[in-house]
Amino acid sequence: MFFHSLKYELKVGLRNKELIMWLMIFPVVLGTFFKIAFGNIYNSETVSTIPVAVVENVENEVFDAVMTGIAESEEPLFKAEYTDADSAAELLEKGDISGIIYVDADGLTMGVSETDGVEPSIIESFIRQYTARETVIKAAAEKNPMNISAAVEAMEIGEDINSNIPLTDGNTDPYIQYFYNLIAMVGLFGSLTGLHIAIENQANLSVTGARNNVSPVNKLTKIIASLLGSCLAQAVCVIISTSYIAFVLGIDFGSRLPLVYLSGILGGCVGVSMGFFVGSIGSMGVGAKAGILMSVSMVGCALSGLMVGDIKATVSEHAPIINKINPAAVISDSFYCLNLYSDYDKYIEKIVTMLIIIVIFTVGGFLMTRRKKYASL
Amino acid sequence: MAETVVKIENLVKRYKDLIAVDHLCLDIREGEIFGLLGPNGSGKTTTINCLLSLLDFDKGEIEIFGKKMTPVSYDIKRNIGVVMQNVAVFNELNVRENIDYFCGLYIKDKEKRRQCVDDAIKFVGLEEFTKFFPKKLSGGLLRRLNIACGIAHKPKLIIFDEPTVAVDPQSRNNILEGIQKLNREGATVIYTSHYMEEVEQLCSRIVIMDKGKKIAEGSKEQLKKMIKNTETVEIEISDVPESTMNRLRELPHVYEAGCNENKLEIKCSGGKHNLVRILGVLQDDNLNFGRVYSELPTLNDVFLEITGKELRDKD
Repeated sequence: MFFHSLKYELKVGLRNKELIMWLMIFPVVLGTFFKIAFGNIYNSETVSTIPVAVVENVENEVFDAVMTGIAESEEPLFKAEYTDADSAAELLEKGDISGIIYVDADGLTMGVSETDGVEPSIIESFIRQYTARETVIKAAAEKNPMNISAAVEAMEIGEDINSNIPLTDGNTDPYIQYFYNLIAMVGLFGSLTGLHIAIENQANLSVTGARNNVSPVNKLTKIIASLLGSCLAQAVCVIISTSYIAFVLGIDFGSRLPLVYLSGILGGCVGVSMGFFVGSIGSMGVGAKAGILMSVSMVGCALSGLMVGDIKATVSEHAPIINKINPAAVISDSFYCLNLYSDYDKYIEKIVTMLIIIVIFTVGGFLMTRRKKYASL
Repeated sequence: MAETVVKIENLVKRYKDLIAVDHLCLDIREGEIFGLLGPNGSGKTTTINCLLSLLDFDKGEIEIFGKKMTPVSYDIKRNIGVVMQNVAVFNELNVRENIDYFCGLYIKDKEKRRQCVDDAIKFVGLEEFTKFFPKKLSGGLLRRLNIACGIAHKPKLIIFDEPTVAVDPQSRNNILEGIQKLNREGATVIYTSHYMEEVEQLCSRIVIMDKGKKIAEGSKEQLKKMIKNTETVEIEISDVPESTMNRLRELPHVYEAGCNENKLEIKCSGGKHNLVRILGVLQDDNLNFGRVYSELPTLNDVFLEITGKELRDKD
């Protein structure tokens, strides 16, 4: 009886056009849009060597040493061309260089054609850091000229201080967060399948529920088979959409892809159990319950950063408890933990949180559904 | 006397201030087609839902196959088939899969189930539609699928709750013939309807319900004997003088006579040769008349006479 119900629950789940739309087509389309919309920004943020012109109005040995050090590094930040002011301006106008660094007696200044963009910001940041450290570098050069390369190295490291230092070999780019949230949303959309289980097992909510209730099948057995069937159907959808994002869109989820799948599948189970729980509450119509679920899912995803990237940090600062119990945040955090931390402690914590949510929703839903007779149909 | 299959004693079901089922007692015997007849809202479906342990009730006892019916009476439920008023199938499963799914809730053995599903498909005449999904079926075919899902496991007791609502006449006849066939094959049938013609055609014993109460019980012949009217004579005639009307009213066994819209209607209670005597009066008074009808009482007449209202609105 268990496997009979499971088999048909799978068939119903995988043939339900509405679910296929929300669980497979929607994430594939939205993921593609994300790639198109954010992919270019992501690429532009992958900074390659910036061509600059250097106009030395006064000779500055320390600056020259720094520029030589940069030029000799493995991935040089700048490709510098020493020239006069007019030629530099011409190069800038042609677009051959991204900016001009003027070396004057009172320090460095810069000239750029546009103030917006990543490259002018980097040049500006470099000048700011150089100015701040020039005294230290000069002192090091005067005391021990051999130390100048170490000083330059320190400055290059300083360039990296503002970026993330990966603790794993995963991809920690912030825009990956959108894809994590997308997979989390696929999981939460699984709540629709959970809702159907609740509806189809209650005689007061559907005719099939009435027919199921007059059959000689233990309700708990039937519901567990249905939940398992839905979770399996959900897993298929999560695997397909995650694979599409990883292999077709080429989004780098790091080296722990099997665990990404695991998180996604558990996220789907969170969605199914949440749908089952909400579907079991009261005798509201299917439409109203589906509306509640979609709203909860969308708000959850919004708070976890699907629509606005840094909202999760804001929530974390002002109401951290929301991130701890928001299923969407827990699911997307589990992905992030995989990429951010080299050990599994945080990841396991998120997985355990998901399992607790699943148990609470499932038991709660069953306690409400197990009612043997109804007051009205 | 046949064994009692269903016994309902003193059943009361209230929805707040409304009494949906009012101290109802029923005794349904093995092998009969038992009709539960009443207008919409009379308590038929509520009674069935209480019987199936879907609905909680305020008072009363329900026994099926000699055992108290509860929601976990799986041994009883295994022998009950239900054909719901509304179609209860999955749109994502085809005809065969739907029947197999519901049959599988009752029968574990795959081989036995396959045979039962085949039999059910044949029984409702859906052999050509086994791969069809419900949305591709017409209303009549969908009803047949609904029936197949309810009876595939070959239950001893089958409950049909208004199975012919919104069904075309041809499909209706198929359904009614099918029910008779199931009964001939040994199933006890409970049939609820507000269509008196169907109940009259099918049922060996009938209970008429109104406002949650049982107002009459018996075979159709017994029910008809409960009322005064035994024959209604209708004659197409243009005008009947009052003197003739008085002579007609004075005839033996005539208890009501009236003329309306070129139609003379005379109701008789018992007696023989009523029609001959009525036509004799018209001939004596040299009145010309057209077509003549003589009708025996229907269950609607029974309901009308007991409650003072029609059993259902005229379609």
